[in-house]
Amino acid sequence: MRLGSLRAGLRKRAGAGAEVEAREWRGSVVLEGRARDWRSKVELGWYAAGFGYKGVVNDLEVEGLAPERPEAPGRPAGASLEGESFDVAVVGGGVVGCAIARELARWKVSVILLEKECDVAVHTSSRNDGMIHDGFAAKPGTLKARYNVEGNRLWGPLARELGIEFSRPGSLVLYDSRAAAALYPVMAARAAENRVEGWEFWGRGRVRAEEPGAPDSQRGGFFLPSAGVLSPYRATVALAECAAANGVRVSLETAVLGFDTEDARITRVRTNRGAFRAGAVVNAAGNWADHVAGYANDRFFSLHQRRGVDLVLDSRAGALQRHILAMPDLFQLHAKTKGGGLVVTTEGNVLVGPTAAEAPGREDYATSQAEMRELERHFRVNKLLSPSMVITYFAGVRPCTYEEDFVVERSDYVRNLVHAAGIQSPGLASAPAIAADVARSAIGILAERARVEPNPSFRAGRRAPVDPRRLSWEERAELVERRPDCGRIVCRCEEVSEGEVRDALRGLVPAASLDAVKRRTRAGAGRCHGGFCTPRVMEIIADEAGIPLPEVTKKGPGSPVALGRTKEAGRA
Amino acid sequence: MLERLDRDVAVIGGGPAGLAAARAAASAGARVLVVEREERLGGILKQCVHEGFGLERFGEALAGPEYAAREAESALAAGAEARPGSFVARASREGGLFLLRCLRRGGAYELRARALVLATGCRERTDRQVLVQGDRPAGVLTAGLAQYLVNVQGLLPARRAVILGSGDIGLIMARRLTLEGAEVEGVYEIKAEPSGLSRNVRQCLEDFGIPLRLSTTVTAVHGKGRVAGVTLASVDQRGAPIRGSEREVECDGLVLSVGLIPENELAASLGLELDGLTRGPRADQSGACLAEGLYCCGNALHVNDLADYVSESGEAAGRAAAAYARGGPARRELLPVKAGSGVLYAVPQFLDLAAAGRGQVEAGARIYFRSNATLREGARLVLKAEGSGEVLLERSYRALRPPEMERVELELGRVPEGASALCLEISRKERGDGRD
Repeated sequence: MRLGSLRAGLRKRAGAGAEVEAREWRGSVVLEGRARDWRSKVELGWYAAGFGYKGVVNDLEVEGLAPERPEAPGRPAGASLEGESFDVAVVGGGVVGCAIARELARWKVSVILLEKECDVAVHTSSRNDGMIHDGFAAKPGTLKARYNVEGNRLWGPLARELGIEFSRPGSLVLYDSRAAAALYPVMAARAAENRVEGWEFWGRGRVRAEEPGAPDSQRGGFFLPSAGVLSPYRATVALAECAAANGVRVSLETAVLGFDTEDARITRVRTNRGAFRAGAVVNAAGNWADHVAGYANDRFFSLHQRRGVDLVLDSRAGALQRHILAMPDLFQLHAKTKGGGLVVTTEGNVLVGPTAAEAPGREDYATSQAEMRELERHFRVNKLLSPSMVITYFAGVRPCTYEEDFVVERSDYVRNLVHAAGIQSPGLASAPAIAADVARSAIGILAERARVEPNPSFRAGRRAPVDPRRLSWEERAELVERRPDCGRIVCRCEEVSEGEVRDALRGLVPAASLDAVKRRTRAGAGRCHGGFCTPRVMEIIADEAGIPLPEVTKKGPGSPVALGRTKEAGRA
Repeated sequence: MLERLDRDVAVIGGGPAGLAAARAAASAGARVLVVEREERLGGILKQCVHEGFGLERFGEALAGPEYAAREAESALAAGAEARPGSFVARASREGGLFLLRCLRRGGAYELRARALVLATGCRERTDRQVLVQGDRPAGVLTAGLAQYLVNVQGLLPARRAVILGSGDIGLIMARRLTLEGAEVEGVYEIKAEPSGLSRNVRQCLEDFGIPLRLSTTVTAVHGKGRVAGVTLASVDQRGAPIRGSEREVECDGLVLSVGLIPENELAASLGLELDGLTRGPRADQSGACLAEGLYCCGNALHVNDLADYVSESGEAAGRAAAAYARGGPARRELLPVKAGSGVLYAVPQFLDLAAAGRGQVEAGARIYFRSNATLREGARLVLKAEGSGEVLLERSYRALRPPEMERVELELGRVPEGASALCLEISRKERGDGRD
């Protein structure tokens, strides 16, 4: 019945030249055949999601668009994992995977965190605006809504434990229509349903007083005080370091190639560093989580990609805005995204965006002129900001299921697999809450076979790196006496010292490239964008790693900054 | 123990502007300290190993490091002190003094001074500040960074490079990369004419057979780990890429020479307003800003194209700062200098007519300007007094181009009483106007 009407609907929507079939598989639905184009493929996936299946597996082919495969990993230097054994393997070193690994460390179990890149937080976790959403925008009743609100509460204490900056400037959603006031009861109901507390309606005058850059056209707005902001990459590194300090093995440049299964259990995890045994596996593989599920024959959902581009404004912009600002189009209320806005980061930059557009390319971070134009409209939301303040921009890719909700659950068919997949926005905000649930599931799996004890020596905090900018002048002067290299500033825009760069290179999850140093210290993230500090940071990396300068990379293998020494590297 | 220093004049920046300021101030008897963030004095000149510096100032063509060394020696010989490896974390005013909180390896210190000279130079505009799209692979770098890699670190940043922008550093780097064994695929300029000095176009590109393509820009960079190529596009008169003109070029590096921006974050933190055109603080003929005791010079004031002019402006600022530090505030009589028709900008933005009486200025005031268009057939400059309309100065040029800064000197005594402002105007030279 259900399948019949889905099939009919798909055929009607697929258009001429398309051939779309649907079949049921373990309570999910699989779409096969050929879609007209990529856009149509995504729309058919969304359509199928409306039929109440567990998941939509969208295997429609699109002409000229080969199915994406993860890049074949090289043979990394360093330790082999062949023949080792771990209680839990967490696949993916994004904010979710790192938070899960840290939660697992609360138990006396051996944990390995697998990340295919040469650092954590390389993909989606470093390519977002760092907003810790209030939870208001999520659709009531979804996992997103639940984890967002829970995660938002957890970030406060967690950030303190990890020693990272976190603030709650609150989110101010402005309207430029008189009709906005009529939304009041709708907003009240939504807030109550999602358990978002403390929200207020601000009239025009209040908005003007609280946010001097608000546009003259504003007619008041909703203020959500719990909305916060943190550095997503620093948070991810901090979670990974805390996990590592508690005994989690963080294995970088380690790509999962497949699983050996036996009797509906994963027995061995095969990687480019060799195969090892695992008692339980957590799939937190970001934009590749559906592939990883497939390795265990448990691919009951598909991910499609929603790109987001943000502009980064000079850090002097931060003084011109107090809250997270947005001015949505009233007609956009039912869109799949919140429409973007202006976020002041913990470092004082303002991020403009993100865009939200469905596009293929799980790791396609190339920006376009059209995206720049699209973002310009946000400047109207704060009249003190201008496009001349743009210092750079970046793209990120959100992994989205067709149900547009998170997948956080134990596998129905593989007895020792837990998924944390489809973690799109507000994934960063939700991460601590997701991590708690996923860790509980993984421990539950282990507990089915043996007793699992809490880890009495678990430390929730970590030795946070020195952050001289947060010190008073006197404290800073003392620091420089103690740590002479903290007096030598190598990045002038962000005031980063040699000492901080060396700390980043010696950390528990050590940086090894310019970008990894940038994620930890902000060296190179300022207005000159590395023009001055690049050679200096390169020298420190070469010195710490004991490698010649030409071997220093921007972001790991295949990205050398220089192509050799002069005279010898050119045309022979 | 936090070290505390007191000086008459503090100079931030030990490049050619700061060194000239330090020397002038020390020669005038002031106690001067130069705070320089790098380990050695000389600023960007240290990495400019090519010749051509000092033709105006020394009457000979020097390499950048030679020019820098001469300036550093003479500043120190005049009695100025310098602290390289020092970074000014905060600048503020405390009582009647400037307070600089400085960091250096192994110790922080506080420097108090009566007068402060900002000689902080400029930074380079980056690829994303001119809206180049794409991912962020290794191999995209500004010309100055490429220059540091090649000339100081001995590294080759690319084997086959595309250069975007024909600013002087870009032209110099086209030649340098070629000499170091790399191939420069071409230099692309979004404007209809080169941004750098004509002599650099000849000596760095034409002599090496490197193509210069005008009205063309790079719209995107390709590659993930390392640059694999770029997309070029022709642009229309407004600089917008023309649809359909895009073409791809293979290369492993993109070097940018797309403009310099005065570094004035410290100036802004001291409350100085910046001029929208020059992006430096507004100042009088000796670099004195609108806040008392505060001076700005060199490329921090506006971007110069010759180191010689930078030194000259440093000298004026150093001399005035010393006079202020030793004599205290003096009455100023500021007359605005306006950039009229045909003029891109004029520096200084004010003339202090009272300065002549204090003996700070030599015979007169130097006014630097750029035309806002290329006038190949000759041009005429007039400097008028607003109010009376009197023409104070007239000059003819064979040609004027925006990249080539010009300067004139005006005797302050010539400014008529009652003038409300001075105005510079440039016009195309009329046919048959034979003066030169």
